[in-house]
Amino acid sequence: METTLIAKKQSKWHGLGKRIKQARFLLLMILPAVAFYFIFSYIPMYGVLMAFTKYYPRLGILGSLQQHWVGLDNFSIIFNNDPEFLNVLRNTVLIGLGKIIIASVSAITVALLINELRMRRFKKTAQIIVTFPHFLSWVVLAGFINVLFSSTGIVDDIIVALGGTRINFLADKNFFLTMIFASDVWKEAGWSSIIYLATMAGISPELYEAADIDGATRLQKIWHITLPGIKATAILLLILSVGGILSAGFDQIFNLYNPLVYEVADILDTYIYRQTFTNLVNPGIGTAIGLFKSIVSFILVLLVDRIAKLSGERGII
Amino acid sequence: MAKNNKYPQLEKLPLRASRKGTNARFGGLDIFIFVILILYVIAVIFPFYNAFVISISSEYAYFNADLLLWPQEITFDAYTTVFASQQLWNGFGITMVLLVLGTAYQLFFTVITGYALSRDKWFGKNFVMNMIIVTMFFGGGLVPYYYLITSLGLYDTIWVMIIPGAIDTFNMLLMRNYFASLPKELEESARIDGANDIQIFVKVYLPLSLPMLATIGLFFAVGNWNSWYNGMLFLETANLKPLQLVLREMIASIASNIEMPGGPNVYSEGLVMASIFFTIVPMMCFYPFLQRYFVKGIVVGAIKG
Repeated sequence: METTLIAKKQSKWHGLGKRIKQARFLLLMILPAVAFYFIFSYIPMYGVLMAFTKYYPRLGILGSLQQHWVGLDNFSIIFNNDPEFLNVLRNTVLIGLGKIIIASVSAITVALLINELRMRRFKKTAQIIVTFPHFLSWVVLAGFINVLFSSTGIVDDIIVALGGTRINFLADKNFFLTMIFASDVWKEAGWSSIIYLATMAGISPELYEAADIDGATRLQKIWHITLPGIKATAILLLILSVGGILSAGFDQIFNLYNPLVYEVADILDTYIYRQTFTNLVNPGIGTAIGLFKSIVSFILVLLVDRIAKLSGERGII
Repeated sequence: MAKNNKYPQLEKLPLRASRKGTNARFGGLDIFIFVILILYVIAVIFPFYNAFVISISSEYAYFNADLLLWPQEITFDAYTTVFASQQLWNGFGITMVLLVLGTAYQLFFTVITGYALSRDKWFGKNFVMNMIIVTMFFGGGLVPYYYLITSLGLYDTIWVMIIPGAIDTFNMLLMRNYFASLPKELEESARIDGANDIQIFVKVYLPLSLPMLATIGLFFAVGNWNSWYNGMLFLETANLKPLQLVLREMIASIASNIEMPGGPNVYSEGLVMASIFFTIVPMMCFYPFLQRYFVKGIVVGAIKG
């Protein structure tokens, strides 16, 4: 026993050349990936140092660090002297959290409806139709929404026909969040339901048979068998989405918002984009906001993973 | 009994129906579910329908009809303009380049990486794996990325929409799990026959994973078809802009009414709707036949990931 253990430990250092040679073809295959992640993920990570400088592109990161090191000034600016930032942060959390909750509730509802539907042909057709919007870009959706909900659009025409007055949905602060949540449900609910449907298909039929013998109604079976059956999946998906709360969907907001609704619609990513590329604020500030976002997201993931493991669910890390 | 015969196919279904009792009647709850789903399906279809109606109605009808629920004063002017638009065809061409080149490029790098990481212990595997996992939880953010791309000389070149997308971590892990699920004996016997890792990959594992390759390839293809973000950030030359970006600029100009293909006095709503169909019709045609591949992708990913 002991001799083999020692032999193993030695071989870790001894046969290095041999082990590299053994793995040479796999190393050749992995080399592009190492280069790719190094360039496109790790260099930007090193680039976060820009957050501690007043950044000048012509000096590069090292030059800016040497000549324009500002310490935590950029962070102090966004937290103390930028009233817009705190509002943006609030919007981001509201939209990000709201979307997670609404998205999972709607996906589970759609999955339940399709699962309980007892007309096979319609079931297939319905599934093809409702999953399709997932594959459209937010550019296309913005086109639909801009025309449907404009003041000359069909939605306003219907409101007028019913005796109401025209509402400019996309330019009205009171309606914008609803538009964001509703369009997200329209695009994703059908597609996200698939994962729940797959889980439901995996629930043991014996449970339903036993419930039948006990005389359970369909609603009771849904409540006591189907929903508990998808609980683990739902929790896992929730955990996975928590890390993305602060992302809140750049593509969607960016294609739908306009200056009239910035106050309620602006999220961290759109704010970073506008500050850096439209308002030409020093890139150091944008980097600082991005770094803040990354750190908070990372802490959130760790936190949720911890909570999930403590409560006996499967974690992710 | 007579009531049951209304849906005779239900009695034969060995599927879900039998699970919940074959003898259950098609009752109130079934009707409720059916009605809700029909409404949902209509809500999904309606924007497409409305867009289509607008695209083939005249501008006069659009602005003057109280309720444009069906096409009025049918005209195909919008489509004529779209099909004559240099801008859109150019965007279409760029998008086709992305679709072919980008998808092949992404598949190649994602699959070889997935394969290498699916093999048992080899020198450096854990290091690479950790290196990749870290990027899933932490990133540098937009601004450093922007300056990286600029300093790589990719700014305002078509490559900016292809090169940075080489590996999609999620799909790569999907591929890795798939390769790992294939029997190890395949590798061992090929090795006895004197094959090296690359030969084993190309001759043994790749042919076995074609369905999975198709699924991942489709996801990449859709991603490339829909791509606009990197183009918006890094492209200035109008001729390099992909279809989605051209469309995005058209939509943005509905409000401000600038530079529509076909001149300033064109019916912009109709034109934009026609351009949307120009963009999505290829996908609408293929989707019903490809849906099961997409579904397979996420179901496999969910169970194994």
